[in-house]
Amino acid sequence: MSSKDTPCASASRLDPSKDSQIVEASQSRKDIVSIIDSLKKQVAAERCVFIKKRMEENKEKLMGITNHVYALSKERRCNGINGTNKNLGLLVKRQGDTLGMLNGLDLNNGEKDTNGAQEDNHASSAVLIGTSFGVKNNIVRPIKLPEVKKLPPYTTWIFLDRNQRMTEDQSVVGRRRIYYDQNGGEALICSDSEEEIVEEEEDKREFGNCEDYILRKAIQEVGSSDDVLDLLAQCFSRRPCEVKARYELLTKEEKDALFIKKGNIEDNTQMDDSFFDKDLDAALDSFDNLFCRRCLVFDCRLHGCSQDLVFPADKQLPWNHPDEEKVPCGMHCYRLAQKSESIATMSSPVHDGLEEKPVPSSCSAGNQISPRKKGANPSAGRKTKSNQSESASSNARNASESSESEIRPRQDSASIHHSSSPPKAKLVGKCGVRKRNSKRVAERVVVCMRKRQKKMVTSDSDSVVSGCIWPRDMKLRSNSRKENEEAISSQRKVKTPPIRKSRRKESPIQESKKSALAEVHDEPSDEMAKGPLVATSDETSRKEEFVDDNVCKHEATGDKSWKAIEKGLFAKGLEIFGRNSCLISRNLLNGMRTCAEVFQYMNCTENKLSYRGSELRTRSRFVRRRGRVRRLKYTWKSAGYHSIRKRITERKDQPCRQYNPCGCQSACGKQCACLLNGTCCEKYCGCPKSCKNRFRGCHCAKSQCRSRQCPCFAADRECDPDVCRNCWVGCGDGTLGVPSQRGDNYECRNMKLLLKQQQRVLLGRSDVSGWGAFLKNSVGKHEYLGEYTGELISHREADKRGKIYDRENSSFLFNLNDQFVLDAYRKGDKLKFANHSPDPNCYAKVIMVAGDHRVGIFAKERINAGEELFYDYRYEPDRAPAWAKKPEATGSKKEEVSSSGRAKKLA
Amino acid sequence: MAKTAIGCEPTVGSLAPSKKREYKVTNRIQEGKRPLYAVAFNFIDARYYNVFATVGGNRVTVYQCLEGGVIAALQSYVDEDKDESFYTLSWACNIDGTPFLVAGGINGIIRVIDAGSEKIYKSFVGHGDSINEIRTQALKPSLVVSASKDESVRLWNVHTGICILIFAGAGGHRNEVLSVDFHPSDIYRIASCGMDNTVKIWSMKEFWTYVEKSFTWTDLPSKFPTKYVQFPVFIASVHSNYVDCNRWLGDFILSKSVDNEIVLWEPKTKEQTPGEGAIDILQKYPVPECDIWFIKFSCDFHYNAAAIGNREGKIFVWELQSSPPVLIARLSHVQCKSPIRQTAMSFDGSTILCCCEDGTIWRWDAVGAS
Repeated sequence: MSSKDTPCASASRLDPSKDSQIVEASQSRKDIVSIIDSLKKQVAAERCVFIKKRMEENKEKLMGITNHVYALSKERRCNGINGTNKNLGLLVKRQGDTLGMLNGLDLNNGEKDTNGAQEDNHASSAVLIGTSFGVKNNIVRPIKLPEVKKLPPYTTWIFLDRNQRMTEDQSVVGRRRIYYDQNGGEALICSDSEEEIVEEEEDKREFGNCEDYILRKAIQEVGSSDDVLDLLAQCFSRRPCEVKARYELLTKEEKDALFIKKGNIEDNTQMDDSFFDKDLDAALDSFDNLFCRRCLVFDCRLHGCSQDLVFPADKQLPWNHPDEEKVPCGMHCYRLAQKSESIATMSSPVHDGLEEKPVPSSCSAGNQISPRKKGANPSAGRKTKSNQSESASSNARNASESSESEIRPRQDSASIHHSSSPPKAKLVGKCGVRKRNSKRVAERVVVCMRKRQKKMVTSDSDSVVSGCIWPRDMKLRSNSRKENEEAISSQRKVKTPPIRKSRRKESPIQESKKSALAEVHDEPSDEMAKGPLVATSDETSRKEEFVDDNVCKHEATGDKSWKAIEKGLFAKGLEIFGRNSCLISRNLLNGMRTCAEVFQYMNCTENKLSYRGSELRTRSRFVRRRGRVRRLKYTWKSAGYHSIRKRITERKDQPCRQYNPCGCQSACGKQCACLLNGTCCEKYCGCPKSCKNRFRGCHCAKSQCRSRQCPCFAADRECDPDVCRNCWVGCGDGTLGVPSQRGDNYECRNMKLLLKQQQRVLLGRSDVSGWGAFLKNSVGKHEYLGEYTGELISHREADKRGKIYDRENSSFLFNLNDQFVLDAYRKGDKLKFANHSPDPNCYAKVIMVAGDHRVGIFAKERINAGEELFYDYRYEPDRAPAWAKKPEATGSKKEEVSSSGRAKKLA
Repeated sequence: MAKTAIGCEPTVGSLAPSKKREYKVTNRIQEGKRPLYAVAFNFIDARYYNVFATVGGNRVTVYQCLEGGVIAALQSYVDEDKDESFYTLSWACNIDGTPFLVAGGINGIIRVIDAGSEKIYKSFVGHGDSINEIRTQALKPSLVVSASKDESVRLWNVHTGICILIFAGAGGHRNEVLSVDFHPSDIYRIASCGMDNTVKIWSMKEFWTYVEKSFTWTDLPSKFPTKYVQFPVFIASVHSNYVDCNRWLGDFILSKSVDNEIVLWEPKTKEQTPGEGAIDILQKYPVPECDIWFIKFSCDFHYNAAAIGNREGKIFVWELQSSPPVLIARLSHVQCKSPIRQTAMSFDGSTILCCCEDGTIWRWDAVGAS
């Protein structure tokens, strides 16, 4: 390297100039060059030594390995000799034969006698080939290997049961691809490079350690004049400004390093409390970014991460539970606190305006959802519609949780009324699992919460078991105020020291996670036992309008002691549960704040924060009512269908439009993204249900949505139970009870893709060519057979891949909509092997399913079991490969085949 | 390919012959008219160190090297399908030590031949296209791995006939896989390379239970729960063209493209982020006129030397583990002019075999070595 670069440098030095200054400068340049050169040589020498060392190390290691392998192979020889297996012998025997022959040859003084080799039981024997050239080797009688039928060619592919968006690194755009001529031996044909210039990699090269070293040394020795930078840049083959920037960075780093060394000691002490300083938004960051609100999974491969957050304009009702209103949630429930105070304050209600309006349970019954669903999922309401029974059971669960989550300070051990369950760890364990997916930080918060919680539990003395929980309430209610005060203060006492301890111990998080999981597994049975117990209780006293003096004392300090994350969790809790401190403290602030504290804080912040809950609630109610009115007026001609009807009439040749949810917060206006894009608003949009651009489903019942009379069917959409009025399907064999049916007794037949109700497809050798897809069971006309899945790629990508596939004369591209093409080449399902036919028995159709376009394959006629499936690929006429052309067209268009851009299937 | 930064330059071997060892032609066999694509000594069993096999066309032939340059033909197998063209072979063995010959080619069928009883033992159907290389795990010689045009690498158990793992999918090769090799000591690791210009290192550590299960599987092989390994632990872009041969040299990798050289480099995997990582190119072994693809090199048992043929029928023998690399010998013969697809070095490197596109096998013996 150095020898190559020197002439370069000297060339610049030879500029014709007579000025003595320049001569001087060039002189100094010469010095600089020599210094840089010597540095480079030094680096190069070090590199050589380094490589030599690495090679030595590797050699030594490898020596051990090969010796081990050698020993293994020797062992095999010993086994072979000792073994009695006759079959082992043949190769050995042949070896022996040849040796014998060779010896025989020696005796015969080199006279060759290959044909005289002794025949034995086995037909062939060894043949010697001497040193003379040109002996033909056809004397050993060959052993025949029976023919095995080979498979039709295919590329190894991954099965997909749903479409996936292409990941960045799978793109072939901008990548050089080299082909070889299958018939022409070695000829290398480089890819069509005129359209792509590959230079991305060259742009930013990182500075290596050695470059840094030379840079620093050189500047140390000769200063950082422009000349030096210039020459260094030449030496690194970079721009001088880059070198300068790098030098500045280096010097800065050096200073920082020094600084850090000094300040190192103090830094460490603050580390362990870090996540408490994070606010909730940071903790929920990955939840927002990675959770797909359409598929309800993390890391969705279809819609990708970092989707735009769309918040629905229709807010759900805050969590409400009839039982919760009546029963104190635990030892530190604000209700108990105020009960003890009630004698004093009975006649003087404080903060009258805070009174929470109870939501009639009849109304809320349909809207009860678990907090997780609610938080995660804007369309949670949909869930509850379809499985009310589930939500009912979750009611019970929550109730039981409430019974299990009392916080018991030490003083309480005197009272015998304790449940035997080990409640805290369990509950938080569950909590932990809920959050696990959402975010590591959040998870750590929970784990730590649990740690604290555990400490609290252990600080409880083991209490005597008694089966019933409820009498305790009565007893607690009669507790004197003094006792209550004690309880709170002692609880504080108990709470703080163990945390320190647990932090110091730093018990591995992993382990505690495991235990959390284990506990969760145990839980269900527990719940079952507890459920009925809770149900029997029917306490009705509700006194939250009274605020305990005792609690109020702390008001002044309360606000400040709350950490950012606690505040964030509280705010979220308000959003989810409304003003229900029991639920907030239990579900979100467990182990951090007691119910009473939450209640107190809620009241403190009342004046500062405007509480939007009730306002929201009324608004959403209002909207709901309006929605219902609309629905009664609903007709096929209602305004919501305007755009879709337009599309139906105009469609035919145009590709469908990709839907992206809009974030409109009120009814969509002219600037609505969906409207501009020409798609309908869907349930995933932010806009309220009353939006005029919404597709509002069908309300077919008897027709079962199987004909174009159904608006969904006519619009090439599947019915959506969230949207359509009467669409439902039964599940199971009915032994578990029939779901509540809407409309008449007819199941919707237009949800097969959504429900994956597909036919069994078999892969086999085609009767036509290559692979083929076959049907296992016979089906009737228009029956849904299965989905054509694959990678979703852009049209640009598809053009590029198409060219590659054209070379192989097999294409799995399928035009999906204006934005995406499906490629089943590497990922897909068996239907990708269905062959083309001009007279097919199936047809493909692009259908909108829950906001996504998907390709369904349907039977065009009745198909018998075991028949091969064909459908018309519907290539664009000028791009179709020769075999897919209509017979009459093939003759005339043959010459165009080679120039065709790409062939993509159409629905 | 990016220019190497200062301080990371590889040591390049000099083409000046060192005359460390001299070889001379001692035998030549014309096996047939069809090109021979592979030749390999049996390193699996010490009894057969002097036994080698060649493949070409639809024929597999087993020979023995005897003293004085004599070669004895021991066995010959012919596929009944005349269109079969074998590209690769590897020696393996049954768990009881029976020597197996594993060969594959254009038909995509892997043939496992029991050389002890001279019968076909099993045929593996599964690859969707031709097979470009087969290698045997030296520590467990009934495991073989195959690289195929169908863009996958598959791990097989020749004893039970099970396809254990398929290395393909989301992170897999994007074009034909041309070469594959087992790590010499880390039994979980393999490296593969191909026409997508990359070298990928795969780990089967998480799937090892399936490998173990394959030895005791008694049900039909097709019922075995074959697993896909979709993501390699390391992807290296060392070359800018087809990579047609790679071999582990300890923890380093030797690989070659069509750039007239073999490159030795070190993969530097990061524990936290699998898939990404840096490469450090340590040494280069120039091989003139080696600019066509499907030319493979071979090493002796202890990896002291490697032999590679070129487009013009010459062989370059490099000392692998010295720094800088030393060219042990350059072998040429006036009558050997067609491309050499593969070479084979005997256990101690004293015999070098090469098979050519014109269907000839050449034997070179070290002068002075007994």
